[in-house]
Amino acid sequence: MNKILEINGLSKKYGRIQAVNNLNLTITSGQVYGILGPNGSGKTTTLGMILDVVAPTDGGYQWFGGEDPVKSRQKIGSILETPCFYNYMTAVQNLRVAAHIKECSFDRIDEVLKQVNLYERRNDPFKTYSLGMKQRLSIAAALLNDPPVMILDEPTNGLDPQGIAEVRDIIKNIARQGKTIIFASHLLDEVQKVCTHFCILRKGVKLHDGKVEDILGETNIVEISGDDNAQLLKSIETFKGTKSALHENGSVKVELEENFTSADINQYCFENDITLKKLLPQTKSLEQEFLKILDEN
Amino acid sequence: MVKALTLEWLKLRNYRVFWVLLGLYLFSLLAISSGGVFFLEFLKSKGADFNGIDPTIIPIYDFPDVWHNITFLGTYVKILVAFIVVISITNDLSFNTMRQNIIDGISKKEFITSKILLILALGLVSSVFLFICGFGVGSIYSHVFEAKFIFADLEFFFLYYLDMVKYCCFALMMAIIIRKTGFVIVFLMIYSLILEPVVGSILKYSPLKDNTAWIEPLLPSSYYNMTTGLIEVPFTKYFLQEVQSGILWQPTLIALAWTGIFIGIIVWRLNRKDIK
Repeated sequence: MNKILEINGLSKKYGRIQAVNNLNLTITSGQVYGILGPNGSGKTTTLGMILDVVAPTDGGYQWFGGEDPVKSRQKIGSILETPCFYNYMTAVQNLRVAAHIKECSFDRIDEVLKQVNLYERRNDPFKTYSLGMKQRLSIAAALLNDPPVMILDEPTNGLDPQGIAEVRDIIKNIARQGKTIIFASHLLDEVQKVCTHFCILRKGVKLHDGKVEDILGETNIVEISGDDNAQLLKSIETFKGTKSALHENGSVKVELEENFTSADINQYCFENDITLKKLLPQTKSLEQEFLKILDEN
Repeated sequence: MVKALTLEWLKLRNYRVFWVLLGLYLFSLLAISSGGVFFLEFLKSKGADFNGIDPTIIPIYDFPDVWHNITFLGTYVKILVAFIVVISITNDLSFNTMRQNIIDGISKKEFITSKILLILALGLVSSVFLFICGFGVGSIYSHVFEAKFIFADLEFFFLYYLDMVKYCCFALMMAIIIRKTGFVIVFLMIYSLILEPVVGSILKYSPLKDNTAWIEPLLPSSYYNMTTGLIEVPFTKYFLQEVQSGILWQPTLIALAWTGIFIGIIVWRLNRKDIK
């Protein structure tokens, strides 16, 4: 596994505020790495430091096992919160500036513009674009030299539902190509859908890191309902696998003892001549785990 | 170096404001260098005469005097070039594209280099253009047309170039400090066209002048060259007074020192701060 990024003890202080505190992270090739945290937790500051626009107070980082940082940045496609372009230039002209900086040819400009659906508007000035179009242009710029690594910072911020859907589709496509992606967001649903690994930051401190699949999976809670939920509750309470049960919102929530599954409930009800209309094992969501981790700390 | 300069070219080539300002400046140089004849005609029509001499026979376009004359006047409109430099950097600051450029993959050093190279390139374009203008009017009006006269006194172009580079570095520094295009432009006009010359005159002519006059050539922007002496007033020679005949080391060193200081402050400023 190739190390893409290694962060060692990175810290940043703004006056008395500790924005990032002694952060250590290693991201290897092929990971889709989510950096989670509430607003103001230091996500953007961290990305700013690894992209050399925010000077770290302490600590350091290495791209691609110690390659020159400027050359490294040319191989990274970055999409930060706000799209930054020259508003008097057209999409094509803006992408020429980006391609020149990244030292790649102008040949791919048309291709990336088609990829993000801006080809028809390519000769209109940037200032005439909607926010969604601006955001898509920054994705186009990031894709210019087919970078092995992408950094996305809240890429769907401030977009309307259609814009969010468009941007998310593009990101999913990129992830499918096996690129390493570093993804900062507070939209947990989004992260859960695309990320393989994640870490949680709060007030600049890393609270947790690991694989997404490790903390997801089934819980021991099963939601069931039948014709008569009150009756169902009574009978299910006599089931030996039931730890606790309660009637809530038109269904019965059963917490199971260890080694029992939803299949056991189904069989028990079948044997007792109860027909279930609904049998739904609850899965863990990143959101619940996220809130739990924040609570624990 | 080539990358940095090309980057600046890609940013400016589609920018109308840039072409308008550059066009205005070059047009001003053309007007200044060719307008002398009309000015002298104007003086004549107003009945001016210099001790019985007809103004129109004053040989302002004779080689090599023409070089001193037009470079001296050319420095008076350099603020238009300074505006180009100012807008080029404040655009990058207000669009946040300086940050984007660095994220995309250039170093801060290269970014600063691109702005300094822009200044050097604009200076070069102006100098070459002014030389062509001077050569043009000279070949029409000059009473002498021999290579040894035509190519004499060309050091005035060096002084003109240095003066422009110094002033543009001053403008670039102020733009990085003030950041807002409008404020920088107003500041440059009020400070270097009015405030500093007034302060300079006070230092030079007030009752305390014996103690303060030496400060005056040291003022940072010194827009008007008659005060610094980088390029002294050439026209007094037509009243049979002695004028500057080449590079004067003291004003030249002062200008070089200020250029160094301005660039130093620019580099320090951009390196010190986080880029928002």
